[in-house]
Amino acid sequence: MTSSTPPSEPAPPPQPNHADLPRQFPGRDAMVRELTARFPQASGGASPIRGGSKPALAALEAVDPVRYAASRNHLDGAVSGLSPYIRHGVLSLAQVRDVVWQRMARGPGLVSEKLLQELAWRDYWQRLWIRLGDGVWENLEPLKTGQPEAAYAQELPDDISEGHTSLACIDAFARELSDTGWLHNHARMWLAAYVVHWRRVRWQAGARWFLCHLLDGDPSSNNLSWQWVASSFSSKPYLFNRANLEHFGAGRHCPCCPAAAACPFESSYEALQARLFSAPQGGERASGGQAKGEAV
Amino acid sequence: MDCPVLWIHAEALGPANPALLAHPGRPAVFVFEPGLLEGAAGPISLKRIVFLYECLLELPVTIRQGDGVEEVLAFAARHRADGVVTSAWVDPQLGGIAACVAAALPLQVLEPEPFVDLPEPVDLRRFSRYWRSAGPRLRPDPAATETPT
Repeated sequence: MTSSTPPSEPAPPPQPNHADLPRQFPGRDAMVRELTARFPQASGGASPIRGGSKPALAALEAVDPVRYAASRNHLDGAVSGLSPYIRHGVLSLAQVRDVVWQRMARGPGLVSEKLLQELAWRDYWQRLWIRLGDGVWENLEPLKTGQPEAAYAQELPDDISEGHTSLACIDAFARELSDTGWLHNHARMWLAAYVVHWRRVRWQAGARWFLCHLLDGDPSSNNLSWQWVASSFSSKPYLFNRANLEHFGAGRHCPCCPAAAACPFESSYEALQARLFSAPQGGERASGGQAKGEAV
Repeated sequence: MDCPVLWIHAEALGPANPALLAHPGRPAVFVFEPGLLEGAAGPISLKRIVFLYECLLELPVTIRQGDGVEEVLAFAARHRADGVVTSAWVDPQLGGIAACVAAALPLQVLEPEPFVDLPEPVDLRRFSRYWRSAGPRLRPDPAATETPT
C-alpha cells in the first residue's frame, strides 16, 4: 500500500470518553504526577530531555557533519542527540538524511560522510530486527571470549545499576543513564564492556537495564550493540583501557575516582585480554573509535 | 475505506506520520499497551513514558491505556469506522497487534519514505557488507554540490 491514497472524509464531532488519557496539564510537573499515578510500574522521574518535534527540530538544526566527524568519539564532542527522536519517528531517517546532505553540500570540499554512516547503522539495525524478530535476544554467534556461557551471571549486580561500584566513570555513566535516559555512544560501549567482560554478566541483563532507561532504546539497536561488545555479533570482544577512557572521556572521571590507584582499566590491551579472556584474541584492539552506532 | 480511524504507534510519533498526512482530520488513537510498557526487557522507566507523552501531546491523537487490539477496535467502533490506517512498523509486537486488528477490520499500512533503497537480497551479515551496498547510494549527488552560477 502507498501513501498516495485520497484523503478520507472529515471526522464526525469528537465524542468525549472518560477513559481517554488527559491532554491538558497546567505544566510539566502536573503531567509527570499524572503519569506517575497512571503507570505505577514505571520507576523514576522525568528526563530533562523533552519529547516532541520542537526539541527534535532544534537538535536537527544544530547538526554539523564536519564537527560531528571530528569530535563524535569524545564525551564532549558534537554529537547530535537525535537518537530518541529518530527512534520514535518524531524525525524520520530520510528527513535527517536530507538535512545532512544539505549541510554536506555547503562545504567547500569533501565533507566526511561519518554522520551519514551513523544514520545507516540505525537503518541496518532496523533491517536486522525485521529479519530476526525476537531472535535479537539470542546470541547470533558463539562468544569469542573463550569463556563458557555458564561463566556469565544471569542478573545485573545492584552496585552497577545503582552507581555504587566506586569506579567514578562507571558510576557516572550509570547515574546519567538513570537520570536522563541518554548516554553518549562511547559511554554505552565502555559501560557494556565493563558489565560483560570485567563483571562477567550476560549481555542480556545489561541490555534489559539499558532498555528500561534509554529514550532511544529499541531491542534491535540496543541488543545487537551489546552483542557487538560481547562478541556474539563481532569477530572479537570489545575492550577499552584507562588511557582510552581518559583520552575520550573529557578528563572528567579519573581525577576524583576513589579507585584510581587500583583502576581495573589501567593496563595494556594485551594484558587485559590475557586477564579477562581465555581464548587468544587476534586482530586489532579497541581503538576508542565507534565501530557501531546507536546514539547518533 | 471512506471513514477510517488512524492507529498511531510508537515508531511514528511525528507530524510526518504517513497516516496523519494521508488522512488529515480523521480520528487517531495511540495506546499505551503492555508490549510497549512491559516488553521482553521488563517495565520501561517513567522517563520513557513522559518522553512519549510529550510527543503525543503535539499530535491530534486520542491517548489510551490498555490492550492494543481491544483499544484500537473499540476506538474504530466509537467512530463508526470502516477500517484502520496505520504506518509500517519494525517491532514484531506491533505486527502482532496489526494482525489481530486486520482480522476484524480492513487495515491499510502506509510506508514512510525509505532511508535508502537497496536491491534484494540485502547482505546483513555485517554492517560492512550492508555499507558496501548502501554507501554509494547514500553519498550526495556531486552535481548537487555545484554552486549555481
